[in-house]
Amino acid sequence: MANEQQKATGAIVGLRDRFSILLGSPLPDLAMPHAQAFVAEEKRDNPRSLFALIVRPGYPARLNILRTLKGVECPGLMTLVDWGVVDWPPANRKVIAVIYERPMGGRVVAVGANEFKRIDENDVLRKVINPLTAALKVLKAQNLTHRAIRPSNMYWATAEKERIVIGDCATVPPAFEQPVIVETVESGMAHPAGRGAGNAADDVYAFGAAVACLLQGRVPLAGAEPDVIIRMKVLQGSYSVLVGDERLPLPIIEILRGALCDDAHERWNNDSIDLWLSGRRLSPLVAKIEKRAARDFNFNNVDYSTARELAIAMARNWEAAVPFILDGRLELWLRRSLDNKEKAASLAATTGGPAASADKRPTNDILVAKVCLILDSGAPIRYKGLSVMPDGIGSFLALTLAEGGDVRLIAEAIMREIPHCWFETRDAYNPDNSTMESVFRAQKVYLDRGSIGFGIERVLYEMNESMPCLSPSTIDDYVLELRDLLPALNATAKKGDQKGWPVDRHVAAFVAARASFDIDRQMLDLASPDASRSSMGMLNLLAVIQWRLGQGALYGLAGWMGGLMHPAINTFHSRQKRKELEKEIPRMVREGSLVELSRLLDSPEDHNLDRQGFEQAKMDWLAAQREIRDIESGKVVYQERALQMAQQTAALISVTISFITVILLVISRLF
Amino acid sequence: MAAKPKNAAAAQKGPAGGRGSPNRVLIMLTLIALVPFSLPTLLVLFVGMLPTLVAALGERGANRYAWICVGGLNFAGLASWLLTLWFGHHDFSYAFHVITDINMLLSAYGASTVGWVLYLSMPPLVTTFMAATSQRRASVLLAQQRKLVDLWGDDVAAGHVDELDLD
Repeated sequence: MANEQQKATGAIVGLRDRFSILLGSPLPDLAMPHAQAFVAEEKRDNPRSLFALIVRPGYPARLNILRTLKGVECPGLMTLVDWGVVDWPPANRKVIAVIYERPMGGRVVAVGANEFKRIDENDVLRKVINPLTAALKVLKAQNLTHRAIRPSNMYWATAEKERIVIGDCATVPPAFEQPVIVETVESGMAHPAGRGAGNAADDVYAFGAAVACLLQGRVPLAGAEPDVIIRMKVLQGSYSVLVGDERLPLPIIEILRGALCDDAHERWNNDSIDLWLSGRRLSPLVAKIEKRAARDFNFNNVDYSTARELAIAMARNWEAAVPFILDGRLELWLRRSLDNKEKAASLAATTGGPAASADKRPTNDILVAKVCLILDSGAPIRYKGLSVMPDGIGSFLALTLAEGGDVRLIAEAIMREIPHCWFETRDAYNPDNSTMESVFRAQKVYLDRGSIGFGIERVLYEMNESMPCLSPSTIDDYVLELRDLLPALNATAKKGDQKGWPVDRHVAAFVAARASFDIDRQMLDLASPDASRSSMGMLNLLAVIQWRLGQGALYGLAGWMGGLMHPAINTFHSRQKRKELEKEIPRMVREGSLVELSRLLDSPEDHNLDRQGFEQAKMDWLAAQREIRDIESGKVVYQERALQMAQQTAALISVTISFITVILLVISRLF
Repeated sequence: MAAKPKNAAAAQKGPAGGRGSPNRVLIMLTLIALVPFSLPTLLVLFVGMLPTLVAALGERGANRYAWICVGGLNFAGLASWLLTLWFGHHDFSYAFHVITDINMLLSAYGASTVGWVLYLSMPPLVTTFMAATSQRRASVLLAQQRKLVDLWGDDVAAGHVDELDLD
């Protein structure tokens, strides 16, 4: 019935001809902080109750999650039924819609609620821990992390409220909406958009924190500033902060201590939780508290007793940290008060010691970034105001661009190889880190080049697989994959919205990042300052995509390109050839073939013939010019020659007359 | 300094002059030998061809065509009387009769005057003709250049100014 009314008002958005999203039926109870929820219906006869989450335009959805978890059924995960790009009338553009099975019991904890009905210790195992453990297992098996495990993202799967499922994690970057209280110290220190996908240990921590909250019926330290929460976690340990003196059964304390261990290496993993679930009791972990110094370090008129606290303070007071580092006070404190000779030695090696000359030291900004990492190696990359995990730089960049922020700091950090400093300070070898480091090296090269197809746009698309092309020509079409690019440009051309060239910096960078075939020559031509070469590069680039992806006629785009080909036509010297091309291009446009257009304008044989003809014409012109010059400049010589010729002619005439006269006279005498 | 080229010229001319001298002497001797047999002819020629002799002796410069031009027509005017001499009475008395004939003098000298007129009037005519030809050639070349520019654009002429200056 509701569907009929929606259809009558036309407020229905279709996904893959299978699902209908009812625009007039929002579901605020199921909405995420950054994704609206609407009633969804399946067009088949299916009793499933569904809802759709709409990814906010500009926010990078987690495509790997969407692709992998689609159709996966797990007792602890809200079932992701389908997803796709849909036309979204409220935004007048396309967006990603994610269809989930609707949890029938509603949200466990309302968004923003700090106190709620606690879950009894006797029920927590059956209702919470068992399904969540199953979810963690599924995620681990798929090599995924959820990074959105928090009380306010948990739902009762059934109306009887017998089982909890974790909600969506794909509509925003990893851990973007996580409150600091459920995040590890390291992740909590990072900007929400730059926390990165992390690893399974991060999910286990969030699981432990969420269970602790549900058991207490409150969110500890609700309303406290993130810095305060982090400081308390650093000084007291996460378990103390989240559980405190709450009276809990011993087995529950055991799993919470294991899950909330601040040392990621010692933190429980899925196997440990399985063992615990099977009844095997493990020795409870003793919270490791950050080592305190014998004497506090006074920085900016505040005393700090741990290296981690000091690192946080220095990262917040970037400029003020430099003198403390350079004059050796910090090294001395590490060596004597904190008794950490390893860190002191690393610091000395970084600064070159107090006696090092200024030119041998890294610049102050790099120095502070390195020192922060030496003091707290688990912390995110911190550079001036930036604080991101290496695997979160991509999503942070995407969010910054989506919100119109300044990306110069991110670019500067990559250019100055700050991520390399992070990798340098790892305690143990991790092959993932090597891969990531090589990725950052490539990004530096892209930023160094800076021409079209490179620069910060290239970094954006290289580091965000889920980033749609942000070109003004394609942004409304949510182009996620290369095969969608040309149709989107074609649609723009058909609408008459074409502004400038179809290949702008975003399109070029998107193509370069997504193309699986060689486009180096086309990109090189595109970046040329010569308008004719760059326009041919653009045409060839689009033609290669059309050809390689076997895409059909693109009338609008061909027309758009045809109108931009004057510089390419003008590469031919022959006016006749130019006229021929101007006649031929409209025919190619009518065929909608960029490939044929490219062949027509970029034929090496035609160019060779034109070049040879032009060279011959130049030589002919020069020869004519020389002769004209000779005629004009040689008047004196020519008059002398004329006089001589006249005298010779007169003599010849005279002798001829004489000869004829004699002959005639002789003949008249003889006959 | 100036002596060197002169010597060189003399050296170049030396062998040729040496080879030519006996021939020239031989011709001269032959002609002198024939003089007794052609004195009437020589007399008529001397008197009748006086304008040519004057032109030959008076002409200066590298191109000496005036005496040929005058001489040709002068001889044509005299030819009739010479042939009468050769085919009729080849003797002194008739030769004297011819050289005192006013008609012969009018004919020979009048013809030589026509020779002078021809010689003097030809240069302006030829100059005018050649000027017209050159002008036409220049026009044709300019038209060719315009056509090249029409076919290939202004670039066809670009860069040639320097090249022409270097020439």
